[in-house]
Amino acid sequence: MTASATPRIRTYVQALNEALDLAMDRDPSVFLLGEDIGQMGGDFGVTRGLYNKFGAERVRDTPLSEAAIVGICVGSAMVGMRPVAEIMFADFLGECYDQIVNNAAKMHYMFDGQFKAPLVVRTAAGGGFGGGPHHSQSPEGWFLNVPGLVIVAPATPADAKGLLAASIENDNPVLFLEHKGLYRLKGDVPEGYYTTPLRQAAVRREGRDVTIVTAMKLVQDALAAADVLAQEGIEAEVVDLRTLRPYDADTVVASVRKTGRAVVATEAPKLGGLAAELSATIAEECFKDLKAPVLRVAGLDTPIPFSLPLEKLILPGKDDIVAGVRRVLAARA
Amino acid sequence: MSIDIEAHLELFRDMTLIRTFELSLEREFKKGAVPGMLHIGVGQEATQAALAAHLQASDAFFPDHRCHGLNALAEEKHAGTGRRIMAELFGRATGVSSGKGGSLHSANPAVGNFGDNAIEGSYMVTVLGVALAWKMRGERRVACCVIGDGTVGRGEFHESLNMAKIWQLPVLYACVNNGYAISTPVAASHASGDIVDLARGYGFPCVQVDGNDIEAAYAAVQAAVDHIRAGNGPYFLEFKTWRWQGIFSGEFRPADEVRYWKEERDPLKLARQALVTRGVAAADLDAIDAEVKAEIEAWIQFSKDSPMPDPAKAVADVYVGWEVEPR
Repeated sequence: MTASATPRIRTYVQALNEALDLAMDRDPSVFLLGEDIGQMGGDFGVTRGLYNKFGAERVRDTPLSEAAIVGICVGSAMVGMRPVAEIMFADFLGECYDQIVNNAAKMHYMFDGQFKAPLVVRTAAGGGFGGGPHHSQSPEGWFLNVPGLVIVAPATPADAKGLLAASIENDNPVLFLEHKGLYRLKGDVPEGYYTTPLRQAAVRREGRDVTIVTAMKLVQDALAAADVLAQEGIEAEVVDLRTLRPYDADTVVASVRKTGRAVVATEAPKLGGLAAELSATIAEECFKDLKAPVLRVAGLDTPIPFSLPLEKLILPGKDDIVAGVRRVLAARA
Repeated sequence: MSIDIEAHLELFRDMTLIRTFELSLEREFKKGAVPGMLHIGVGQEATQAALAAHLQASDAFFPDHRCHGLNALAEEKHAGTGRRIMAELFGRATGVSSGKGGSLHSANPAVGNFGDNAIEGSYMVTVLGVALAWKMRGERRVACCVIGDGTVGRGEFHESLNMAKIWQLPVLYACVNNGYAISTPVAASHASGDIVDLARGYGFPCVQVDGNDIEAAYAAVQAAVDHIRAGNGPYFLEFKTWRWQGIFSGEFRPADEVRYWKEERDPLKLARQALVTRGVAAADLDAIDAEVKAEIEAWIQFSKDSPMPDPAKAVADVYVGWEVEPR
């Protein structure tokens, strides 16, 4: 990782592509598999150019067999490979749920540490573009209750690269969520190979009045919300979780103890989700510091409709976070 | 061509060991000494003995839920004793998975046992990954998965056979067709009661074998393993057999059928007859019986004498490198 005075601007997709490219260069046990990831470079272009560089053996197109894609990851990881699968849309994770939940995540434990499953399942999550009910979901809640699984969800291009490299190096199975609304986001991406630590949240903006805890695309929305709030004299602190399981409770708790107020924002529905989990932890750990009840800003409790105005009603964004912060500031514990 | 007499006797001994293991285990289970659930493989000994005879420690097999015998034989052949499989079923620290896996999740990669997975058929796609890794690295090994007829209903069956073929992977499918998925007859579950009929569409060798004839099973596994080791891609074996164990609350199968399989098609009885016909003294076979029974009782005693797992094991190995807090 080289620090440079002039920023090296790349998109989130390019950053992911660089991480795969460099990881494959460094480690011959890393290989990719998924639907249309070869010459086509994947539905979103994340694997573009890698087939020509590394060949069909290490960049493998598969049939529409998601269970087999992840099963192959598990089996090859058991004998020392480091597979990286692409599941085209996170909505398709239902097709390989068993492999992730019952196989990848339990392999190390149930066989008493005799096998490891160092694999990464990359997938495109999130809505906001008219993808409809089966191309827009945020699946982290489906997997939060699975011991042994790691869930990583970068919010910036630099993190996309560093966290993907770290996920590939990690000896645990990683579900790697790439929000479709971030794929074209540009940012400074350091040159060369580097890893960004897992299980460490990032404070994206410091503030004294309220903590906004979130991840993925909503980090960008939360930063935009913080700009709006700053014009009213409200200083919001924005915590980007980055790893959703196991998550960095210490950073969350330290921030809320400082600000005394918390808004937790997720795109997924409220019931049983990450926002509920974070709220509970904040309530348990920060009860005496809270000046107001923790507030969840989340997707409505519906599937995601196709038509854009309807979808906009369902998914939270900058304005919902701003409104949430105002409510928390108005309330008293 | 009949098999070498020494190998034949060895197979008889291995089948006797499986039968004794299972019946003794069932006895202990009924006494309450073995927790959880129990699925035994009595009646299916020939398929497991044939597989154990040909798989090496450097191969991999994914056993199904009635494969205690195969697991124990692999331990015996490659680690000297099968008693750690018994101890695993008793949930003891000396078990192959330190008691964390039990009957349905016992593994030991040192002997090629890649572990059962109680989501039947789930490992049909896991086996592809093992086979693919070996093929990519140029290692000539066999990755075997043992499945029952019921598993054929799973989507993974078809995903697996299809991808094994398109990538020419070194996978041995050993389908033990015992006629029933718990209580449902195979003909009511699948488009054909002969599973090879369904497998053949994927375009690699699919062979149906009498799963109660150890000589036929031994030869069939030999041919399959030779084919795979030569780099010729996957191979499918369907062993026609029958399980003796009724299901949970007893026997639901027709009395004539039960009588036929237990009296006329008992694989151990058939093997004994064949050996006697070849001139082996019945007393020699009885001696094998006695020796195996003593061995299994020793394994049971070893299991009962073994400590329960260290409580620290409850939260160990959830993640590699990260701790989980104890209560």
